[in-house]
Amino acid sequence: MTADWTIVVPVKQVPDADDVTIDPETGTLNRSDAPAVLNAPDYNAVEAALSLRERAGGEVVAVTMGPPFARAVLETAVALGADDAVLLTDRAFGGSDTWPTSLALARAADELDADVVVCGEESTDSSTGQVPPGIAAHNGWAQLTYAEDLEPRPDDGELVAVRDVEGGRERVAAETPVVVAFEYGENEPRAAGLHRKIYAETEFEPEEWSAEDLGIGDEVGLVNSPTKVGGMDTADRVDREQEVVEDVDALADRIAEVTADD
Amino acid sequence: MTDEDTDSEADHEDVWVFVEEHAGEVAGVSWELLAKGRELADETGQDLVALVVGEGVEAVGEAAVERGADRALVADDPVFEPYRAGPYGDQFRALVEDRRPSIVLIGGTTTGRDFAGRVAVPASAGLTADCTELDVDDDGLLLARRPTFGGDAMATIKCPDHRPQMATVRAGVFDAAARDPDREGDVESVDVVVEEADALSRVLDREVGDVADITDADVVVAGGGGTDGDFAPLEALADALDGEVAASRKAVDEGWIEPARQVGQTGKTVRPDLYVAAGISGAVQHVEGMNDAETVVAVNTDPNAPIFEHADYGIVGDLHEVLPELTERLGGERPPEPTA
Repeated sequence: MTADWTIVVPVKQVPDADDVTIDPETGTLNRSDAPAVLNAPDYNAVEAALSLRERAGGEVVAVTMGPPFARAVLETAVALGADDAVLLTDRAFGGSDTWPTSLALARAADELDADVVVCGEESTDSSTGQVPPGIAAHNGWAQLTYAEDLEPRPDDGELVAVRDVEGGRERVAAETPVVVAFEYGENEPRAAGLHRKIYAETEFEPEEWSAEDLGIGDEVGLVNSPTKVGGMDTADRVDREQEVVEDVDALADRIAEVTADD
Repeated sequence: MTDEDTDSEADHEDVWVFVEEHAGEVAGVSWELLAKGRELADETGQDLVALVVGEGVEAVGEAAVERGADRALVADDPVFEPYRAGPYGDQFRALVEDRRPSIVLIGGTTTGRDFAGRVAVPASAGLTADCTELDVDDDGLLLARRPTFGGDAMATIKCPDHRPQMATVRAGVFDAAARDPDREGDVESVDVVVEEADALSRVLDREVGDVADITDADVVVAGGGGTDGDFAPLEALADALDGEVAASRKAVDEGWIEPARQVGQTGKTVRPDLYVAAGISGAVQHVEGMNDAETVVAVNTDPNAPIFEHADYGIVGDLHEVLPELTERLGGERPPEPTA
């Protein structure tokens, strides 16, 4: 192996989807009540990164942007096998949409001298999927989204991905540095080893970087976010008959009525 | 971003729609966006402009005019075939910065969601992902509505100070624009700013079959985890009803069926007369994609499955027994017995 890769994995702390409730009075989301966990697709990203490390050599560094308590997801990543982790934390980041968020992660990846950045496909709370292409765009790097499988070619300075495209698949070779968005559920994330878990929870301390450390103090946060949330409401519920029929004959009759109009 | 990057809103006008083409086929969502884009353009007194990128795609520009665009911009070059994020993003960005549209709509396909950020980031544009409703307010500001928190809530996103206002939009939420062969408009061939030598990636091979279009079907028969990977009973029922087979994310993730047939938050929105959900539990993420169905029928072994709350008619039972019987009652052929 001639070149060891630095593999950066941006991860996100999200409310546990099963526990997010909607206040029936106000229609707002009670996201603060829900326990915060590692975004589910990020497990696939961490696994993809560890697997790349095994084949290409090098190290895996997890990065998250969030309040101090977001370090919990870095501990999870380290327990799973990441070598190191960085917490991007600063009040200045508050209210960032995907533009400044991907800027902060892009600067961090650049600072870490990343060869490959592996992201999860999207977050379960906002599900935009815009951060991975955003990181690539801010740094002018190649990107491989909707990747199902990765083949490292460190000697050629390339990463090959099998990508899911509408109606099929393609294989694309991209120059490093490259940003990957790994498809949710496309690999089997390993379980954290006990020793690694104890290390992550007791000894491990992530590095902390501020917006100023990244040189982007006046380019982040709500004020530098092009999009603004203009309102939030509960999705309209569609009224349905909710009639449970006894047998297939009854069901066939109902279906025949519906399809007879055509 | 600095203030110098930020153009004033007044400098920007026109509604742009990206018309997505692969190997001669136009993605259905592009025609849907032309219909919605036409409405938005009329409401705000702007032109509707179609943007086509590819190789040998002048006819696609003409087709876009027939479907409602006032004019089409066509970037035609071998560098764009097959699709890659870099060349598409760079070309699109150059046009956006040069021509200054106010609104840019892109289909929320794997392609659209891949390159949209490569336009929005360098252009300092606002980009809203995976919208399901679009409107303009009294000031002509785009109101992009999208499901959030797994479909439990709808967020309205605005982009007050940055242009263009960009959005990727889910397939199937709007009706497609009808073709009017008498419509006329200019098809302009634009300068191609991308060179192969600058590309950061190359496509080694690409296998794309027929892209199933479940968004246009009058009848959709969808399967989930309860199929255990056996879609034969669903195919037989879909055949009997002249419909299309679709699936939940679970079935797609298991590799039982191709992603183009996925209904729900990370898949497509369908609007059939009849939607049969077989062996699908009814997670909000899935329900969101079938809410526009006229009538919903649920088949599930679990009487407490949430899908029954979102169905007009339900039956508690194993789809492997219920669907073949139902297919026969409706005049179709029973599926072959599984051999395994």
